[in-house]
Amino acid sequence: MEQVLKLRNLKVVFPTDYGLIRAVEGVDLDIYHRECVALVGESGCGKSVTSQAVMRLLDSPPALIRMDVLEFDGRDLTQCTEAEMQEIRGKELAMIFQDAMTSLNPVMTVGNQIDEMYRRHYGDSKQAAREKTVHALELIGIPEPKERANSFPHQLSGGMRQRVLLAMAFACMPKLIIADEPTTALDVTIQAQVLKTLRGMQRGCGTSLLLVTHDLSVVAKMADRVYVMYAGKIVEKAPVKELFTNPHHPYTVGLMAAVPRLTDEKKKFTQIPGTVPSPVHKPSGCYFHPRCEYATERCRREMPRLEPMGRDRQVRCFHPLGVGGKSSD
Amino acid sequence: MTEIMTLRNVSVHFPVRGFLPFLKKGEIQAVSDVSLGVRRGEIFGLVGESGCGKTTLANTMVGLVKPTAGQVLFEGVDLHSLPREEFKKTRRRMQMIFQDPFSSLNPRFNVYQLVSEPMVIRGEDDEETMKARVVELLEMVGLSAQDLYRYPSDFSGGQRQRIGIARAISLNPTFLVCDEPVSALDVSIHAQILNLLLELQERLNLTYVFISHNLADVKKMCDRLAVMYLGKLMEAGDADKIFARPLHPYTQALIAAVLDIYFSEEREIVVLPGDTPSPINPPPGCRFWQRCPKAMRGCKTVPPAFLEVEEDHFVACHLVNGFPNQDLPEGFDQPMVGREKVPGR
Ligand SMILES: Nc1ncnc2c1ncn2[C@@H]1O[C@H](COP(=O)(O)OP(=O)(O)OP(=O)(O)O)[C@@H](O)[C@H]1O
Ligand SMILES: Nc1ncnc2c1ncn2[C@@H]1O[C@H](COP(=O)(O)OP(=O)(O)OP(=O)(O)O)[C@@H](O)[C@H]1O
Ligand SMILES: [Mg+2]
Ligand SMILES: [Mg+2]
Repeated sequence: MEQVLKLRNLKVVFPTDYGLIRAVEGVDLDIYHRECVALVGESGCGKSVTSQAVMRLLDSPPALIRMDVLEFDGRDLTQCTEAEMQEIRGKELAMIFQDAMTSLNPVMTVGNQIDEMYRRHYGDSKQAAREKTVHALELIGIPEPKERANSFPHQLSGGMRQRVLLAMAFACMPKLIIADEPTTALDVTIQAQVLKTLRGMQRGCGTSLLLVTHDLSVVAKMADRVYVMYAGKIVEKAPVKELFTNPHHPYTVGLMAAVPRLTDEKKKFTQIPGTVPSPVHKPSGCYFHPRCEYATERCRREMPRLEPMGRDRQVRCFHPLGVGGKSSD
Repeated sequence: MTEIMTLRNVSVHFPVRGFLPFLKKGEIQAVSDVSLGVRRGEIFGLVGESGCGKTTLANTMVGLVKPTAGQVLFEGVDLHSLPREEFKKTRRRMQMIFQDPFSSLNPRFNVYQLVSEPMVIRGEDDEETMKARVVELLEMVGLSAQDLYRYPSDFSGGQRQRIGIARAISLNPTFLVCDEPVSALDVSIHAQILNLLLELQERLNLTYVFISHNLADVKKMCDRLAVMYLGKLMEAGDADKIFARPLHPYTQALIAAVLDIYFSEEREIVVLPGDTPSPINPPPGCRFWQRCPKAMRGCKTVPPAFLEVEEDHFVACHLVNGFPNQDLPEGFDQPMVGREKVPGR
């Protein structure tokens, strides 16, 4: 299969007054043609930093960035100049952020903002661009797209604004879209709408998608493959079905249990004990050990490696669950 | 059981001004004719999509917003008929926890100042007493004395929400409104904060109004609930009854929108199409008709009555209650076809 993105050994450090923040510690990512890959983990685990580093949008300084390989569509992005990156961004590699309000220009109509994509990347005339814009808005499920194109961002609802971001991201049929928490700020009903549209567009356009989220219920609906991240490291990697039917890492199991279900018992929520470690003082050994009910002496001393575990799966754990007769509950 | 909070036909309208301030263009009917009762010691859920009026209704309960019409009774007393001093005193017994733990705490205050502020406002001035109380509160919410002089920026979202909770319970309230307390937090933190709220409720004998748009959280938290759409109640009553037999198509849609965590081959995403329409001069009939998959012609113009269909289970829907016998448009019980629902037609 054709590989769209290849990232090897990404490390990002932020020097601060109170110590070094090791935001990302050696992350590898592979994304293939037409697939949706999810990057999941709790707040602060380094998801956004990773996606910004891939887009080469991370300011350095303050960030200190190192990576062995960053290949996009066969090209070495580490060698690209900022001018070349600007040409790639938006056209071949697009991004959707969580907060539509901050990624849209408040004083420009949404139509003009989408027009801009076509005019910049294809050199379209004003008229030609607008025609494409209206078509894009229609595809994304915005009623009365011609009229809506003349609205300013604040005149649209949250779900509508998020759809405009989708229209912008898909405008130039990019090879890869990175969506950082695209529905986290939305209601459940509107989240379902936006996810369904995003999935339909991704499949229809043959785009690859990197979906960044903290919510495994979103992953269950959207992703083909999943990377679970904890405190700057990948702790589990698996195809979606395998991940949900047989999670190996205790952290993955914890994240799944934390999603509330309509079928659960009342007045009690399953939680992962403890909190995410401070990025300045990460624990010894396995970063997850203070919160892990299976932790042993070895976990406290030694960081496990990301080991292969069956076909296309990897797990960073000395006592993986659900393998060799042990079950996950 | 006694009601701690009773709303009688409460409406809250906000004027919308035209380009000149005296040209009134219409009004936002944020809350329309809502009647409900919250019983002492229960968790009462308030559910609905963004903009349906949940926060406005909650603000009305705690006296932050004065209703345009109707009465707000706290422990049987009409809040807005109280003299100023009494009103202030009563309001202290009602507190609020906000959705956004990032903007709801003043970044220049340390934890001690944030949590003790309500006590200072009440007139407390003994530092030692206050400090002891703040430490006690911090421990109750899972923080510690070590955190006293740290600032909000040093804390994660979940920890900030704990600070907000400590602040809200500092004056021993009896009635607490939790306005989407976990919407801005990670799923894994949801559980911690909601467990904390449940534990505090038990320990301090609190009554909660719990606002959310996620029916899974509501089902697990609440004893009774009300489902709102565009300022009006669609369905309300006993939580177990509503979840066992959701009657309103809107309630059904909200339940279907909860994404489950299991992997299934079909990976179906159930969608309620459309957006909440504008609350400016809303339609006379059922407010949900444009998005309702089961809408009939009469739903557009005939307002549904809010009726009790079984004990403590109310619903406002013509499908369930039937149409009244007068002034019905032709073909009122015919299903609406897609094109008829397009706005402006
Ligand atoms: N500009 C910066 N300066 C210092 N530290 C930073 C900076 N940007 C990010 N960090 C730190 O890097 C770590 C990873 O942050 P990142 O934003 O990638 O987390 P995330 O997984 O996206 O979390 P969230 O779910 O909250 O968005 C965090 O500890 C964060 O505080
Ligand atoms: N002070 C105000 N002036 C004018 N309109 C207002 C005011 N407060 C609220 N509204 C409007 O009233 C309606 C209901 O708002 P409200 O904040 O109560 O909704 P909500 O259900 O809490 O939504 P969310 O989930 O987004 O918090 C909205 O259309 C809002 O724009
Ligand atoms: Mg992020
Ligand atoms: Mg609100």
